[in-house]
Amino acid sequence: MASKTYLVAEREFLDNVRTKTFWLGILSFPLIIVLAIGVGWVMQSTKKLQQYAVLDFTPSRIGARIEPEARQRDLQRALEELLPKPAPAGAAGPGTAEPEAPTPPPAEPTLAQITANLDEVAKRLDAGNPLRDLITRLQKEPELLQQAARAAQSGKLHELPPALLATVTDWATSMSPEQQRNLRAFVSARRYHHVSLEELGVAGLQPAEQRRKLNEMVNSGRLFAYFVFDNDPLRFDETAGPADPRRPADFVYVSNSLTDEDLRDWYAGAATQVLRKLRIAKADIPPQRAAWIQAAVAFQEVQVDTTGETKAVDKTDKGNKLAPVAFVYLLWIAVFTAAQMLLTNTVEEKSNRIIEVLLSSVSPGELMAGKIWGIGATGLTIVGSWVVFGVLGVWVAPKLVPKFGEYNLLAIVGDPLYLASFVGYFLTGYLLFAAILVAIGSVCNSLKEAQNLLQPVFLLLMIPLLAMVPVVQEPNGLMARVFTYIPLYTPFAMMNRASGPPPAWEYALTTVIILGSVWFAFRAAGKVFRIGVLMTGNPPKLKEILGWLKEK
Amino acid sequence: MDHALILRSVTKRFGSFTAVDGLSLEVPVGCIYGFLGQNGAGKTTTIRMVMSIFHPDAGSISVLGHPDAQEVKDRLGYLPEEKGLYKKMKTAEIVAYFGRLKGMDGSTANHKARELLTRYGLGDWLDKKCEAMSKGMGQKVQVLGTIIHEPELVILDEPFSGLDPVNRDTMRDLILDMKRQGRTVIFSTHGMEHAEQLCDYVMMIHKAKLQFAGTLAQVKQGRDLGIQLDYDGDGTVLQRLPGALRVNDNGKHAEIYLQPGTDPQQALRWLVERVTVRRFDYREPSLHEVFVRTVEEANEQLAAAGLGR
Repeated sequence: MASKTYLVAEREFLDNVRTKTFWLGILSFPLIIVLAIGVGWVMQSTKKLQQYAVLDFTPSRIGARIEPEARQRDLQRALEELLPKPAPAGAAGPGTAEPEAPTPPPAEPTLAQITANLDEVAKRLDAGNPLRDLITRLQKEPELLQQAARAAQSGKLHELPPALLATVTDWATSMSPEQQRNLRAFVSARRYHHVSLEELGVAGLQPAEQRRKLNEMVNSGRLFAYFVFDNDPLRFDETAGPADPRRPADFVYVSNSLTDEDLRDWYAGAATQVLRKLRIAKADIPPQRAAWIQAAVAFQEVQVDTTGETKAVDKTDKGNKLAPVAFVYLLWIAVFTAAQMLLTNTVEEKSNRIIEVLLSSVSPGELMAGKIWGIGATGLTIVGSWVVFGVLGVWVAPKLVPKFGEYNLLAIVGDPLYLASFVGYFLTGYLLFAAILVAIGSVCNSLKEAQNLLQPVFLLLMIPLLAMVPVVQEPNGLMARVFTYIPLYTPFAMMNRASGPPPAWEYALTTVIILGSVWFAFRAAGKVFRIGVLMTGNPPKLKEILGWLKEK
Repeated sequence: MDHALILRSVTKRFGSFTAVDGLSLEVPVGCIYGFLGQNGAGKTTTIRMVMSIFHPDAGSISVLGHPDAQEVKDRLGYLPEEKGLYKKMKTAEIVAYFGRLKGMDGSTANHKARELLTRYGLGDWLDKKCEAMSKGMGQKVQVLGTIIHEPELVILDEPFSGLDPVNRDTMRDLILDMKRQGRTVIFSTHGMEHAEQLCDYVMMIHKAKLQFAGTLAQVKQGRDLGIQLDYDGDGTVLQRLPGALRVNDNGKHAEIYLQPGTDPQQALRWLVERVTVRRFDYREPSLHEVFVRTVEEANEQLAAAGLGR
């Protein structure tokens, strides 16, 4: 009688769903994620201001030239957010270009294009974002704007035209410290602070005395670190190659914080830029040639679509490839949570003896099915809530952090293939593991006993998690295929491969396999449940359980 | 249909252990029937087979005229020996739930559950959770869950165990109410006084085998009469009573069985001289005595059979 199964299922469902703890548990899930992100962000943004000093003993006073360069790099980053990225060079591709031939000039963007692009960017920015101010300033001077666009197009933002640089610097200095702090590009401005030697009261002292005093300051925490330029990095030594380990260090970094290397890296990056520029100038290499030598390898990502044509990779596709990882992870948590609930519930019902009353009204099969469906519905409620949270999350996230917008997460989360796979594979995966766990639960008298028996099942469940990344990298590879045809892992593997996606015949075959396995598991679990659920005393041996399976 | 339950040579084995061995039994409609036996004798297994929780290995069971209890499950009520409730469910809800599992529709079950609980003194507990209740109250709730659907045959496994005297009386009234309504009640018990006071019929199983079955009079028929003695004084002297076969001394009350041919009048005279006799009855043995004697006899037989082999 299906109606009794329904009654049991309804009770199980309501019993769980009515409790406050159940909803707290559901709510806590996105809350924990938000908290984890939030804590990381807060920790990042509350990091102490790191004060540093520079001791420069070089004749060329190289240290003094690094500071402005470092700040200018920050400006560049601000500009990069605004201006169009260098367009891919088209079908010719950089690889086919003759090394000596000058790169063909990229198509010049029209002023209208740039303006439209800026408008697009401005729309994504909050009202208080200082970048808006910069956009307004730039739009007042189309000439400058075109220059900037040209620089961006050719990837030469590090060589901003002086007039443009002046405008940007002007804008940057006009910003309040508050605004600077709000701008992501100026992250270094609020993190690292240069303190002059005069301020520290060590100017004009003997070098040894200076070092001793700065060391004291590092120890006392007054300074986070200081840099020393002893050797002139511009002196060219013919005898030592650049990779020679005997080459003296260009500068010394003195700090007691051995793990936080952000300041060192930020400063070293700027120093490299400056040194490179000065060395090129010293070696008498024309700047254009120097730029060509220094240019990093540029490559273009394309993918082959179903028609055999290549098309450019957009970020949605990338997100798409990675999405199944998130889905598999959630699937795993959901299946495991629900199956665990079922186990606990069965053992409890058995240990408080209510099971016998139920068995006088319903058959063991009806009882088992009722419990599995009831808890399954509970699990679906959890999954459903997560989907709601997820959709809300990807809808809200781009508004808070514009970068997420590029991935078009909503399209991924809302992808019917993913959603259908998720719900479908949750159900089948749950049913499969539920059958195993309900059988385990039925032969145990206490949760402790059940936990012991659960260990191997848990290990079995871990495997698809470990295999997740290799499978997503190669959705139709050998490993993915092998996992697909192990019934316990079929739901996880197929979810994992959804980005492939696998051919239709594989969907059909695995559906047959998994439904068959569920049917088989239910039959076997039914037999164990029928006998096990009324047993008391020691849990049966595996041999005995196998014996029950043979009974009709 | 004269019989609510008929068992014919029912046997149930668990592996090499025989829990019930060739049991035959008839339970007439509208009676109260007591199942007696030591712990582990096979009472609960028998009941579970009647409820079709277990299936017999041999023999047949007819419940309310049907060969398969599954068909009449909704007309049976069963209170298992181990009583449990869903802790988080409210009292009225759980009683109604048991009713719905027996095929009642939702609103009827709810209504009936509240009415029953109120009638049996649990009106204040309707919307309280089961975990807050005492054991006796929980047991009452469970019995009400057993009978909410007005079953024709009610089987109660140890309904009196763990109850205080007041709740025992409530339980007794409940059983008598059901009998008055024409239902058949089977209950198992270790309390011989309950069986003696309530049952129209009793049966006893010992080590999987039926020892006796019938009305109380039938069961006691042919047994030696015994002395029921209420007394004050030193009970140790009772053991020295001339012609005494067995003496069950409880301190203030004693059952004394005499060797055949001994005159009870003489025994009375002997007793009066040694203890203060408050009551002296020479009558049929108590069910308690019948039970103990049956166990002893059965064990002797088994031992003899074991030796003879």
